[in-house]
Amino acid sequence: MKSRRVGITTTVPVEVIYAAGCIPVDLNNVFITDPNPRGLVEEAELAGYPRNVCAWIKGLYSTVLRHRDIRTLVAVTQGDCSNTHALMETLELVGVEVIPFAYPFGRDRDLLALQMEKLMDRFGVDWAAVNRARERLDQIRRKVWEIDRLTWQENLVGGWDNHLYQVNCSDFKGDPDAFEQEVDDFLARLKGARPRREKIRLAYIGVPPIMDDLYDYLEERGARVVYNETQRQFTLPFETEDLVERYRLYSYPYGIFYRLEDIIREVERRRVHGVIHYAQSFCFRQIEDLIVRQRLKLPILTLEGDKPNRLDARTRMRLDAFIEMLQ
Amino acid sequence: MYCGIDLGSRNVKIALMDEEGRLEFFKFDTIAFYREHGRLEEGRLAVDLSVLLPAGTKPRTVVSTGYGRQTVALKGARVIPEIKAHVLGAVHLTGLSDFTLLDLGGQDSKVALVRGGRLIDFQTNDKCAASTGRYLENMAVVLNITLDELSRHYENPVDLSSTCAIFGETELIGKVLEGHLIPSLAAGVNYTIFKRIRPMLLRLFSDTLVFTGGVAQNAALRKILAKELGVRVVVPENPQYTGAVGCCVEAKLTAMPHLQRH
Repeated sequence: MKSRRVGITTTVPVEVIYAAGCIPVDLNNVFITDPNPRGLVEEAELAGYPRNVCAWIKGLYSTVLRHRDIRTLVAVTQGDCSNTHALMETLELVGVEVIPFAYPFGRDRDLLALQMEKLMDRFGVDWAAVNRARERLDQIRRKVWEIDRLTWQENLVGGWDNHLYQVNCSDFKGDPDAFEQEVDDFLARLKGARPRREKIRLAYIGVPPIMDDLYDYLEERGARVVYNETQRQFTLPFETEDLVERYRLYSYPYGIFYRLEDIIREVERRRVHGVIHYAQSFCFRQIEDLIVRQRLKLPILTLEGDKPNRLDARTRMRLDAFIEMLQ
Repeated sequence: MYCGIDLGSRNVKIALMDEEGRLEFFKFDTIAFYREHGRLEEGRLAVDLSVLLPAGTKPRTVVSTGYGRQTVALKGARVIPEIKAHVLGAVHLTGLSDFTLLDLGGQDSKVALVRGGRLIDFQTNDKCAASTGRYLENMAVVLNITLDELSRHYENPVDLSSTCAIFGETELIGKVLEGHLIPSLAAGVNYTIFKRIRPMLLRLFSDTLVFTGGVAQNAALRKILAKELGVRVVVPENPQYTGAVGCCVEAKLTAMPHLQRH
């Protein structure tokens, strides 16, 4: 591969990219940590992106345009969002190399293995190198699983930190050694910490939130997220060395019914009182809310996020009512 | 004496409740209320209630609610979530404990499911005011009739979309040009509100619908709801003060904790 930094649009088998000596860059994280993410959304609209399209896609588009060092992109064309197709096309228009990756809808093992091998071909790596990368990354993942366990079992970690360390496992911030050090430091700081006292335990399901003040807002009101569904999935929390199987067990890119198996198991195990189902404005996943509501036997608040970065007045009012209802 | 304040988008509603539960109501234009009676003290809005309320009124507890509370914390008042305030008020005013609450206010709509006097689920409108009081006011202006007149008609409605409160005006003007009469046009407007909130009502369905907020004064909409959903529609007196009454109920419960339900 010519380019060192490779953009990704969501979690992909990042082991392949690391095995090739490249640096994966989760564009979502770059977008949302930009000093002015709203500006990036507006830039995409000025370029011609419709107003009624998800802000994540628009943010990703402008992020790639801004970061001239990212000239290659692995884009998930099945299992994430169909708007990604047009995102790739508009980026191809400006000369970005796009490598498509598709998670098979039916979780078919052979199809998934084929996709992973095609990706390995593009990056010129073999299974031995990919598995070495997996072993290295798994050392870090195990530490992040511990942060998750300390969240729900020992009540030592807040919802935001739980979100942050897990969500960063999509690309390990492009520097596994430095990220591991951050994780180690965080774990060290937790030693001797006193358990948190929020009475209401919440699950957060759906894609990660586009607003970053949600967790603090909840905790100020005595409720804490002890389960971040998708973020946890980004850590591939499955004990198997078979990498194809890992990405087959990974629930995010597949149908809602498979995702619900994980959700139901975890909300029970983590003794959750209520569920926040987050869906991005204009996302097809908003439709799946009706299935979630039928299958989950817990109080559910459906939240809709649009622009980054802060909760709007209506959402705050709805969160207040939901927390009050659970007391 | 307990005081409940509902800081709404269009009006600030204040309810006073005495020890025997007798109620008194006061209403102020929201912008005028903030501009003329409020001043910021340490980041909180201080309002001199003694100027606004009858001479000698000294509430033991003040509880407030409303969208306004997101930006303004009323000094000296405890704030409660809006939906909670409306449920408490509706339970108090109707004496019912199992119902679906529909509150249509100045700019937002809420549907709540109440069982055993407690809120168990709720929905609110998305980022659109197409089923609210503001929408009705705009449409009445387009038709050049009063809100009273608008709320009389529910038969032979013209077909209007219910997607946007502002585009709705253009659409209504189109229907006027087609020669439809006021009763049909007004009925069409009332039906758009019903169409807009029907999905929320069906998701949180009960045989009894308690209808509150300023829009509950619209008699045509009450008839449409009863007829289309086959439910009993209960509207408390002064439905626009339900949130403020709920705040009084909360104030009384706080002052006398032994009354708290668990």
